[in-house]
Amino acid sequence: MHQGVQVNENQKVNILMVDDQPAKLLSYEAILAGLDANLIKARSGREGLELLLKHDVAVVLLDVSMPEINGFEMADMMRQHPRFQKTAILFISAVRMTDLDRIKGYQSGAVDYISVPVVPEVLRAKVGVFAELHRKSRELENLNRELEQRVEQRTRQLQESERQFRTLANSIPQLAWMADADGHVFWYNDRWYDYTGASLEDTQDVRSNKLLHPDHHDRVVAGSWHSWETGDPWEDTYPILGKDGQYRWFLSRSVPIRDSEGKVARWFGTSTDISGQIAAEEKIKQLNAQLEQRVAELETIMQVLPVGVAVAHDPVCSSVTPNQALSNLLGVDPGIDLARSLDRTGGSAYDFYQDGRLLTKDELPMQRSIAARKPVPTTEWEMRRADGKSIQVLGSASPLFDAEGEVRGAVGAFFDVSDRKRMEDLLRERADLLELASEAILVRDPAGVVQYWNAGAEALYGWERHEVAGKPAHQVLETEFPVGAANVESALINEGRWHGNLIQKTRDGREVIVASRQVFKKEAGSILEINRDITAQTRAEEALRRTEKLAAMGRVAGIIAHEINNPLEAITNAFYLLRNHPSLDEEARYYAQLGEEELARVCHITKQTLGFYRESQHPVDVSVAGLLDEVLQLQMRQLQLGRIVLDKKYLSNSTVRGFPVELRQVFFNLIGNAVQAMPDGGRLRIRMGDRWNERVGRTDLVISVCDTGAGVRPEHAKHLFEPFFTTKSSKGTGLGLWISKGIIQKYDGTIQFRSIPFKGGNLTAFRVRLPGAGPTAKVIAGTGLAVADEIARVPLGQT
Amino acid sequence: MDKHKPVILCVDDEQLPLALRKLVLEKQGYKVATASSIADALRVLDAEHVDLVLTDQLMPGGTGTELAKSIKQTRAGLPVILISGVNEIPADAVYADLFISKVEGPAAMFQKIAAVLAEHGLSLAGDAPQPQAGNQKND
Repeated sequence: MHQGVQVNENQKVNILMVDDQPAKLLSYEAILAGLDANLIKARSGREGLELLLKHDVAVVLLDVSMPEINGFEMADMMRQHPRFQKTAILFISAVRMTDLDRIKGYQSGAVDYISVPVVPEVLRAKVGVFAELHRKSRELENLNRELEQRVEQRTRQLQESERQFRTLANSIPQLAWMADADGHVFWYNDRWYDYTGASLEDTQDVRSNKLLHPDHHDRVVAGSWHSWETGDPWEDTYPILGKDGQYRWFLSRSVPIRDSEGKVARWFGTSTDISGQIAAEEKIKQLNAQLEQRVAELETIMQVLPVGVAVAHDPVCSSVTPNQALSNLLGVDPGIDLARSLDRTGGSAYDFYQDGRLLTKDELPMQRSIAARKPVPTTEWEMRRADGKSIQVLGSASPLFDAEGEVRGAVGAFFDVSDRKRMEDLLRERADLLELASEAILVRDPAGVVQYWNAGAEALYGWERHEVAGKPAHQVLETEFPVGAANVESALINEGRWHGNLIQKTRDGREVIVASRQVFKKEAGSILEINRDITAQTRAEEALRRTEKLAAMGRVAGIIAHEINNPLEAITNAFYLLRNHPSLDEEARYYAQLGEEELARVCHITKQTLGFYRESQHPVDVSVAGLLDEVLQLQMRQLQLGRIVLDKKYLSNSTVRGFPVELRQVFFNLIGNAVQAMPDGGRLRIRMGDRWNERVGRTDLVISVCDTGAGVRPEHAKHLFEPFFTTKSSKGTGLGLWISKGIIQKYDGTIQFRSIPFKGGNLTAFRVRLPGAGPTAKVIAGTGLAVADEIARVPLGQT
Repeated sequence: MDKHKPVILCVDDEQLPLALRKLVLEKQGYKVATASSIADALRVLDAEHVDLVLTDQLMPGGTGTELAKSIKQTRAGLPVILISGVNEIPADAVYADLFISKVEGPAAMFQKIAAVLAEHGLSLAGDAPQPQAGNQKND
């Protein structure tokens, strides 16, 4: 309020009285005194205008006829000033027609007039009306002004709070929006734009909002509409499409904002992302379901487990639940609490022993694991039941801890190993049997890799278990299958078994024949092989066959001999008679003699080819030197052709009592072998001498035959004297040394041999020791030693 | 003279060889009786005087060694010589005094017969032909 201060002071209105006559002013003053107004007097129009500017004048009492500026002029001037356009004017005028017309011209404003003479009551009444009017309108103005100020202030506050609200709404993690009363969205917060990437225009109407998940769209629209119609808050959970193309779950709420009359002015809504929560809830639900399943599974497993399981539910084992298997094992009713069954005061259903000692309750595995706060490793116990049954039990236990790490119970597991123990004993026995078996027993996989190899196999093949484990058996043994390895394998797979003879090599290269039985264990995927050495048997059988053959040949030879020799004798006798017949002349006798000689040749041949016979049935003293010379004589041509140097020294002329044919056969064989061993020439050394035999107290004749030929391979050494063993493949019968040894043993002699590398070749020596012919034999002193030295250079193997 | 000639009983199932052997022995100076089987031989032995039996080994109806065994049981002093075309000495040859091969020829045969007879104190008369030497060698 910048206008007149007077008005404010006492709330009195100002009345300006303008008249050039002071008396009139005084009379008006007197008339208006009772109006409770400030009466301001002006003596001219000019003064009146000046006072108007100073005061807030409610009514101007204006004399029309005044000098200088009359009343109308002043009124015109007032009306030109905007401030005074509505100021009430009360003209005082003599009644003239002209004046009246002019007064009427002001009637748009607050103008009235009073004619002269002034009637005091009229004046008072008219001024009073104007003054009251002024006061009222001034109050109204003040009121308006105050009202406007308030509105302005309120608007400012509202703007401020809206600004704060939006800031707030943008800072919350939720999506937020505002809609007008009919649900038309006019504002979304920044989070909403960030999340959806959509524009306001596309999503103002919930019905066409494409961000709602199609499955939820209709429900959300219906819910929203209901809310708008009733004004009730709304809440729903549904997925909203994000700008990344993924739906996320939101919990959306909207609440009405009402005006002072309680009408809904707008809706405020938020959407809270609960995807994580939903996922977490889902996960928890799944986990719970899984947990329940696992618990159910564990419960089932525990019940069906063949292993006895017990659970102690407290640290003192006052309640122990067994599973079915444990109840069976302990011989108690299923479901009975073990804490009660173990109570010895009532006679326990079972007792635990270890190494024959009865265990106290505290020594039992679960109790021990609780006391020690750690698992008790698997230990073997004996359980004696009330029914007298003794069971070997393997048991272990572990304590159970609660969340605070305190022991809350224990779990024990018990396994009946009685059968297994028995089985182990049985298996051990069987394994021992396997080891005792003379057969080679091996287990291999289908690829042939050795898994087991018994002592018999070690003995037969010479390969030790650790040397062949993990290697293919039949490669190691160089097995020759009679029908091919593939056929054997297919027989094993199709029929589960195979048997037949195999030819295999031992570690030292010796060939063995085994009768093999093989069984394929499908479930184990392994092959059990039992190989029996039938080499000797086979050789014996072969020998028998050959002996039979020889015998048959002998019989044939005998028959032939008989059939040829009989007529030969007759012819010989006939020629004998013919040759000596006196009637023959010289020429005829000569012819007969030729025929007789040729016959003698035939006889000689049949004797040589169809068999020897002993000249005598009684042993005679045989000169070994003579015998050796005879044999050498027969070999002489071979020695010369073979460039073999003969080095013979006879240091004794002793005889041996026996049959010359047999002894000749021995030396013929030894010397023949020596010659055949040196196809490219060499040195044949023959020594004979006497040697004192300490053991039996007699003088023996020792004959050695040495060659520098091919030598005897170590692996052949011990088979050398076996029948039908030959290194000469086609040449020999394989019987020579065997027969020789037999003959020598019959004479109570020995034959030994040794073959060693010597001067880049081999030195092979056979030494025959025969008992001398007793006192008749002459011992040449010193010669025995010489032979001994000779032989000593060649260490001899025992035969 | 004839009564001093040792009598040899020749036994063989084959007639021709038996006849030739008889001739050869007679040529040598022996008196020879013959038999073609064991039974035959035993009959001859019962009927005649025999100083030595020279028998084949393989014959139908029994072997020479069986004959020898039989003879030694009843006439222990009578020498028996086996003569065989078979080169193998039979296991029971011990019953005979000697075993000779048929293919050794007459000379060897004479020698061995003479040796056996000599052991029994018998011999041919001094005018007995000397055995042919040199052309029959056994080795």
